[in-house]
Amino acid sequence: MKVSKKIVLLGHFGVGKSSLIRRFVENTFSENYKVTIGVHILKKNVTIPEKNTDVSLVIWDLEGNDDINNTRFSYLLGTNAFVYVYDVTRPATYENLESELNFLKDKQKNTPITVVGNKEDLVTKAYIKQNSDNFGSLTDLYVSAKTGDKVDALFSNLAEVLIK
Amino acid sequence: MLEVYKKKYTKTVLQYSILDLDGKVLESDNALFSNIENKNIGDIHPFFETLIPLLSHKEKETIFSCIHLNDGEKSITSDIILQTFSDGKNPLLIIHDLTKHYNNYQTTAQVRNESVINSQILELKNTYLKEKEAFKNIFIANFSHELRDPLTGILTFTDILSKTTLNQQQKDYVKVLNSTSGFLKKMIDDILDISKIESGNLELSIEPFQFLELLNEIKFNYKIKAEQKGLEFNYNFDKRLPKIVGGDAKRLRQVLTNLLDNALKFTNTGSIDFNVSLNQIRAQKASIHFEIVDTGIGIKEENIKDIFTSFSQVSSKETYKGTGLGLAIVKYLVELTNSKVTVSSQHGKGSTFSTNINFIANTSLVVKELESKQTVEFDTSKKYNILLVENSEITQLSVLKILASQGNFFLDIATKPEEVLARISNYDNEVDLVLMDINLKDYEGDEISKQIRKLPERHQRKVPIIAVTAKVFKKDLKRYKKAGINDVLKKPFNENQLLEIIAKNLK
Repeated sequence: MKVSKKIVLLGHFGVGKSSLIRRFVENTFSENYKVTIGVHILKKNVTIPEKNTDVSLVIWDLEGNDDINNTRFSYLLGTNAFVYVYDVTRPATYENLESELNFLKDKQKNTPITVVGNKEDLVTKAYIKQNSDNFGSLTDLYVSAKTGDKVDALFSNLAEVLIK
Repeated sequence: MLEVYKKKYTKTVLQYSILDLDGKVLESDNALFSNIENKNIGDIHPFFETLIPLLSHKEKETIFSCIHLNDGEKSITSDIILQTFSDGKNPLLIIHDLTKHYNNYQTTAQVRNESVINSQILELKNTYLKEKEAFKNIFIANFSHELRDPLTGILTFTDILSKTTLNQQQKDYVKVLNSTSGFLKKMIDDILDISKIESGNLELSIEPFQFLELLNEIKFNYKIKAEQKGLEFNYNFDKRLPKIVGGDAKRLRQVLTNLLDNALKFTNTGSIDFNVSLNQIRAQKASIHFEIVDTGIGIKEENIKDIFTSFSQVSSKETYKGTGLGLAIVKYLVELTNSKVTVSSQHGKGSTFSTNINFIANTSLVVKELESKQTVEFDTSKKYNILLVENSEITQLSVLKILASQGNFFLDIATKPEEVLARISNYDNEVDLVLMDINLKDYEGDEISKQIRKLPERHQRKVPIIAVTAKVFKKDLKRYKKAGINDVLKKPFNENQLLEIIAKNLK
């Protein structure tokens, strides 16, 4: 069986949304920061053997915004899952995490949201623990687009959840 | 003609396509993507896949801005309009190529975002550095504080020992004890000064003082020290130098002695010159030039920039040990006067340190008559009750020994607030003065002082309280004053300092 699901990545600029997608789709990484304007759309197929299903993940890489209210509404139409990405090394990208997630939940009720802290390769486990009050309780996963750590797991898990 | 030009220069930027409700392209021009008729729009690009569920909406215009489309042959950035109808008409898709416009916007957004990210990173780095600095200063202050009680003990008992009957060898040992404990005290004072300076807590205290007298005193001391080391000591004081100036005498002494100590430390043969001259007196300000020239080991050019850094030692040799704070303190203190220290040096030949400092020069300046630094004396007909509030047994013993040697004092010791208040409230044996350690084990001395100041009986409430502490930052002194504390004795203290402050505050 083949299904197609739309996943939208959003968050502040420079947090690594494009890098995460490029890591997942092309298995590449670049240190150079290139701003995303508008939206890039990439696609990758994931097989769920237990369900005998191929899931075509159509991933929308949205331009970064320091205020989620500025997100173009048309981008969110028909989304099957959101991935909210922040940068663990930059407080400005997670200091309004709760209110941003509430905005999303309000605009797109019943659409699952996975919260991901990127750039975990740049910090220690102790740092993550120390900041548990700041972002720990809301974060589902810490990943690294640079090393690839848990990037595949992020999207595979999403695919499984979406075909349940 | 117009048509020819239009055909030549008009660039086609819009593609119109009609779709069915399943996304099949029924009709299309080839403006941007060619040969797409009869294909499913989802096959052109993944973006269109997600459009298919929207095709069944009735009478709706949905605009998607800035969509990057790449079909392998072509890469464009476009605005896409999907128009659906309610009257059975097939949906209309319009792709508007705005690549050039969005490329320009991309450049601007890139610069803007990079600037914002860089400033956030810089702000974080600054916060981290400030926290690190604050931690270092608190650590230094607390650490040096911990050393002061044992050092008080060493100073006091060395003093007491020197007054007992000793043979020559024992006297020599006591001299060594005095000298090394004096050196240790200076190191702790320097560390605390640096901590104060770097946390912005050190301020100059400007008062009239005997300028020439201070210079002569320093010259006298260092002439002896230099000659003990077999060095020539030369000095030249400008005849025009004012006798009295307004400034911070203590800090000026610190600057000059640190520079002279430095010269002495690093000079093994030859001479040290100490020169002071008047630049000018203008608008009641005297600009005075200080210069210390030595024939010492000198400093390598690559090291000169480091010599004023805290804890930096450009010589790794054991013979030149120290904290590496002296020159850092000189630099900071001189900068507090809005001036600079300059150094010129030749490795192996010697160094010259110089600075220009401004002082107030006014014929109306009058130096306060200092109380004679003779032995402190108390009224022998009276016995004073002193209450010492202190946890440290060493300090308790030191104070006990000092006061016992005077014969005028009874000493009580308390460590808890209830003990203090009970003792002061005792009508049978009035307390004449309280020596209050600020950092007791479980209590703060200033908090206990506040409780004393609330006692109902006036004479008990007004008992003189002297804070005995190493914490003497400006904010600490303010806190003590607010708590009703009358005076502050800095740890470590010696016998004379303790007796002087008691004499000053006893009624």
